[in-house]
Amino acid sequence: MASERVELLQGTLDLIVLRALSTMGPQHAYGLAARLEQVADDPFPLNQGTMYAALTRLEQKGWIKGTWQRTESNREAKYYAITKAGLRALDDQVERWRKLSGLVNKLILGPSA
Amino acid sequence: MSEPRRVFMRLLSFLRIGRAERELARELDAHLRQIEDGFLRQGLSPDEARLAARRAFGGIEQAKELQRDARSIRWLDELRQNVRYAVRTLRRAPGFTAAAILTLALGIGANTTMFGIINATLLQRLPFPEPERLVMLWQASSQDSSTFNIVSMPNYQDWLERSRSFSGIGLQDSSGRGYSVTGQGEGERVPGLRVTASFFQVLGVPPMLGRTFLKEEEDAGRDRVVVLSHSLWTRRYAADPTIVGKTILVDGKAFLVVGVMPVSFVQEYGGRRELWVPVGWTEGDRDRTSNSFVALARLKPGVSFEQARSEMETIGRALSAEYPIQNPKQIVAVEPMSDYGQARKRSQLAPMLAVVGFVLLIACANVANLMLARAASRSRELAVRVALGAGRGRIVRQLLTESVVLACAGAIGGLVLAYWGARAILPVLPSSISASDFRPVDAVAIDLRVLAFTSVIALGSGILFGLAPALAAFRNNLANPLRQNARGSTGDGKSRLRYGLVALEVAMTLIVLAGAGVMLVSVSRLLGVDPGLDPRNVLAMSISPPQKELYYGPPDNAQFCDGLTREVGAIPGVLSVGAFGHLPLTGARAGRAVSIEGRPDPGSENMPRAVYSVACPTSFATLGIPLVEGREFTARDALNAPAVAVINRRFAREHWPGEPAVGKRFKIGFLNSDNPWMTVVGVVENFHHGGLDVDQQPSIYRPYQQAAWPVMSIVVKTSSAPEPLTKAITKAVAVVEPHQPVSGVRTMEAVLGSSVRSRRFTMYLLSGFALLALILAAVGIAGVVGYSVVQRTPEIGVRVALGARRADVLRLILGHSLAWAIGGVVVGVAGAIWLLTLLGSMLYDVTPYDPIVLGSVSVALLAVVLAASYLPARRATRVDAVTALRQS
Repeated sequence: MASERVELLQGTLDLIVLRALSTMGPQHAYGLAARLEQVADDPFPLNQGTMYAALTRLEQKGWIKGTWQRTESNREAKYYAITKAGLRALDDQVERWRKLSGLVNKLILGPSA
Repeated sequence: MSEPRRVFMRLLSFLRIGRAERELARELDAHLRQIEDGFLRQGLSPDEARLAARRAFGGIEQAKELQRDARSIRWLDELRQNVRYAVRTLRRAPGFTAAAILTLALGIGANTTMFGIINATLLQRLPFPEPERLVMLWQASSQDSSTFNIVSMPNYQDWLERSRSFSGIGLQDSSGRGYSVTGQGEGERVPGLRVTASFFQVLGVPPMLGRTFLKEEEDAGRDRVVVLSHSLWTRRYAADPTIVGKTILVDGKAFLVVGVMPVSFVQEYGGRRELWVPVGWTEGDRDRTSNSFVALARLKPGVSFEQARSEMETIGRALSAEYPIQNPKQIVAVEPMSDYGQARKRSQLAPMLAVVGFVLLIACANVANLMLARAASRSRELAVRVALGAGRGRIVRQLLTESVVLACAGAIGGLVLAYWGARAILPVLPSSISASDFRPVDAVAIDLRVLAFTSVIALGSGILFGLAPALAAFRNNLANPLRQNARGSTGDGKSRLRYGLVALEVAMTLIVLAGAGVMLVSVSRLLGVDPGLDPRNVLAMSISPPQKELYYGPPDNAQFCDGLTREVGAIPGVLSVGAFGHLPLTGARAGRAVSIEGRPDPGSENMPRAVYSVACPTSFATLGIPLVEGREFTARDALNAPAVAVINRRFAREHWPGEPAVGKRFKIGFLNSDNPWMTVVGVVENFHHGGLDVDQQPSIYRPYQQAAWPVMSIVVKTSSAPEPLTKAITKAVAVVEPHQPVSGVRTMEAVLGSSVRSRRFTMYLLSGFALLALILAAVGIAGVVGYSVVQRTPEIGVRVALGARRADVLRLILGHSLAWAIGGVVVGVAGAIWLLTLLGSMLYDVTPYDPIVLGSVSVALLAVVLAASYLPARRATRVDAVTALRQS
């Protein structure tokens, strides 16, 4: 069980959440978790709890903003939306990710990759 | 941008933890319900759906912890949890908590009180701008630079001309005096000071109204100007804004008011000064040996203290070479003004601070013992927490938090005690501590600095008494208590630690008790000293007859003494009246170098010196000081009569041993000076002129009619208690000196009492703290013995079962605590001998290692230890073998 858990690189979850919110529009934590599991090709048994730490970090940075709304099934849920600062940050973070992942790929897989 | 924002949000979230927690719970709940909805749609029953949702979500608590980590500041959160947990635990043990808090409050309260007094008397800044640049200049001997002398005007003027280090040097008269201010309502005697024009510039405070003095006003004849203090201006002149330019009557003469100082300008100098007049150089002042001024100076910007010191030393040496007779082997000493007069106060306050430190340590030892006892009974709780995964660090932090919470509660209690304590003590401070020249004593003893002090000692003591139990908790394996019953035994590490603390308490209590003891002996020996005069039914008061030439010339009012005899002597009930330049036993005194007729010139450095004062006729008789030879002054010893003197037996024995002194002649100053030869007309018995603790020194007296003094102390002997005659006497004095109100009216018995006041104060304070220490130690010892009896119950049961009698059990318990206490006494005696030297000059006729004091406090302390151990020990004798053995 535990071995199947995906260990995310430090900070990547934040980036993933930010990207998801920018493409999907406002989402609640459940929706985000469901979306991530759905998008991932392999089963992605994300500990849904870790989502909350990421959401809190992003909200405290002012990159997303949460508001209580009703779902289609008339449940209350906190919807998070990306802010303007969040959009700007996303561009930066994506650029940084690109550089970092390129570097890591180069280092791990060799220059041909 | 986002990181600082995040730090702020984390802090905010820490502060609004309730809200953040509620929000998180609500969000998680909503999340779970959404998952649940999915399972419901798949056809699960509501109960199954709920369980399935929880499984699918994963660890809810873990998610919360992760979010908390991200949201807030971990250690702050933990601290809050620890504090909350500590408060809960402490509230569940109200007896322990109350005892600990009370003990700490007493310890911290004593320290805060003492620090409050030190803060008010020692630590206040000088009330002048840039006080660190202010220095005092003294004449000092090149051999012994520790004794500072006041300066003469010609030396001052040479310093002024030659020095480059100062932006100004000012002088003030070394003895402030009362100036009578009359006209406009009742006359009053106002403490004033004659100063140079530069005085105010040196202190750096400009006047609020008008101006201060001009250089030319320093000369006699142009000196009829006055500067008022703010308080005198508001009190006597109703804050008249047009006062500058008006004339007021000072000592019966018209003085032009030129300025008023601001309210912030406070000059303490033997009391608060309220008016200043120009120095008005007299003939006497122009004598290079007439040291009568205090010199103040301000360092120029950029000049260091060290530079000034070396410059003045050079100037002093040069002046000594140029005037070898007047300035024999002299240098000039420079002293920061902030140090002036502080050493004496420090030496008086240091022992007190040490004592309250001991009281706090005793309190800490007590609380540490309480905590140790508690930690033992809590070992199961701690073991459970460790088993549940609490780290050792977490447990130690938890225990320390409990101690600090206790200490903080104790500190609050201590602050309350200190607030009252300082308010009670400040007004009764002996003047040797409270009177500070240039430094007003702050009546508000508890300020931010005191609060900071209290916080630091509370935190420190919390860690001090919390550390031992916290560490002891880990000495034994924490898991043990879960597996087995804690089996009490003697001689284990914790019991040694507890009894070690007892020994420490005994040692510290002994030191404090011994301190109180030697002070008690000092005061009682001092009170047993024969003052050499009869203080009963004598009223004393001071007056400043107007005087142009302050110290050397004849009195302006030649009728002063005669008038007193005539007017005051005529009051029914008055037996006799006199007046002295310095009231005996007050410590006020002057000294003069003398030359004896017919002796070779010893050179200016080796001239004999004597205590000097002046007296009216019948003064010695009024104070009951017996005549050994000759007569005392009479009205015939007038200005135009031959110069005469009365000396004490000590002076007579020193200079004319074995022969009558009456008829011999001596003079003040150098053999070849113009001063008149004075013929000894009488020898009086030695009496304690300077104070009970001051050795009787060779003394000389001149008749007031021939040599004036700026302040005279009138003494009146009455046939019964003198107080009812006060009004009649002051009225009669007013006939003699119509413009001179009297001040400082008190009985000679009160003067005698106040001459032991500072020691009495130290004695009372030390006794109070000693009592506190003794009580704390006794309570602590009783607690430790009581606890160890409980711990040793099974062992005692075995002993009883094997045939031990009650006396044996009693001996066992008492012997154990006595052995430790004796160890404490030995350490305490050694500590006392070492530490009591701190009392230094406060001790009178007793040494720090007085065997009687040390012996009796040791015995008394051991008796207290026995008594405190006896009660719990008696409980041990009631141990029933069967119950005890079953208990284990």
